[in-house]
Amino acid sequence: MQKLGDLKLPHFFNYPPYFTLQPVRDTREKQVQLWKELILDYCRTQKIFVIGLEEDFPLFTNSVIERSLSHEARVAFLSALVSDGRAEWMDKGHRKCLILWHRIQEWADLILRFVKENGLEDSVMTVEEIRSGTESRGTDLHGMDRTVLMRALKQLENKGKLAIFKGTSADDEGVKFSL
Amino acid sequence: MRRRPGIGGLQNAVVARDQYRLLGENVAKLRTDLMKEQLTTFRSQLEDFARKHKNDIRKNPAFRSQFHEMCAKVGVDPLASNKGFWAELLGIGDFYYELGVQIVEICLATRPHNGGLINLEELCKLLCQRRKGARETVSEDDCLRAISKLKVLGSGFEVISVGKRKLVRSVPTELNKDHNEILELAQAQGFVTVEEVERRLSWSSGRATDALETLLDEGLAMIDDGHRDGRRRYWFPCVSSISSYVGADTL
Repeated sequence: MQKLGDLKLPHFFNYPPYFTLQPVRDTREKQVQLWKELILDYCRTQKIFVIGLEEDFPLFTNSVIERSLSHEARVAFLSALVSDGRAEWMDKGHRKCLILWHRIQEWADLILRFVKENGLEDSVMTVEEIRSGTESRGTDLHGMDRTVLMRALKQLENKGKLAIFKGTSADDEGVKFSL
Repeated sequence: MRRRPGIGGLQNAVVARDQYRLLGENVAKLRTDLMKEQLTTFRSQLEDFARKHKNDIRKNPAFRSQFHEMCAKVGVDPLASNKGFWAELLGIGDFYYELGVQIVEICLATRPHNGGLINLEELCKLLCQRRKGARETVSEDDCLRAISKLKVLGSGFEVISVGKRKLVRSVPTELNKDHNEILELAQAQGFVTVEEVERRLSWSSGRATDALETLLDEGLAMIDDGHRDGRRRYWFPCVSSISSYVGADTL
């Protein structure tokens, strides 16, 4: 079976008609469902947060069967993810899409668990430390998208679990946990 | 001079007829008794046979199919009822009912992908995958038998022959001769193009497009516009092995 990175590709990926947007409703629903799952799985295993529709994206081309998703098909599958709340368009022209393979709520829960497991309940960390420090290595938080991280932190701030403040350097912010 | 019929002659004739009748009745009774006896012997031998080879019948699909054939020849249907001697002895009723339920489940699970038409071979393969835990292996013959039992539900389960293959239909779609011919043509590569249908079957382009559109609407075909030559291909999941993969993922 073909592999992309660590992901075992599903068999439909080798069936050419799945690369053409199907005109019949029931068939298309099934097609969209399969692609949605595949996109989420792929982004999860590859830690991808943003898909640019005008750039080459390995998942949207299968060189073995010489098929590639049309722009229309890409928009259709990503829009389906957007309406499921698993993705968001980053611009009005629908050229970039933010993929939430964990929902913001799930990211917030992951941050709380991370804080508890590392005994950081009353500590201060910078946002950069959370996504690239040694503590988060091996967790989903490591290397995560900054925009997504900020949104999860904001959500926790609103619940009073932490406070975000401007750090000494202009390009980074600090987080004070108070669990 | 010829004797004229008298009262004595008539009485003689009546007596003779009665005696013939009696004799005839006796002979007929003897014959029926004999036949009854033979049938009883036969039945008890068939039962002995079934009892003796119970395990083979359960475990060996080829043996099972031959046993069914033998039963059919003497007019015994072990699947006719789940009660009574045969079911108690062999438990095959339950076996086929179980298969039937699993077949329905597989057909439902793969329906979004194949439009309710599945290759018998694929169905059998999926069934075996599902039944990995069970000791008995399942043959295509068993599938067909289980499907024939599903007919009483009136749910439109049917086996249709297309070319050399058998397809199991689980939706009440009526496939006409044109559709069957296209499916047969598609077996070679898994897909057809309008041009190919026109050329190979000598149809007008309207006829080909019309039949393909129907198959598309029924969910039995999928279009593929991605080939280099720019010709639209119509793929048929029910004749490609892909149906098992997509089906297996969702089962």
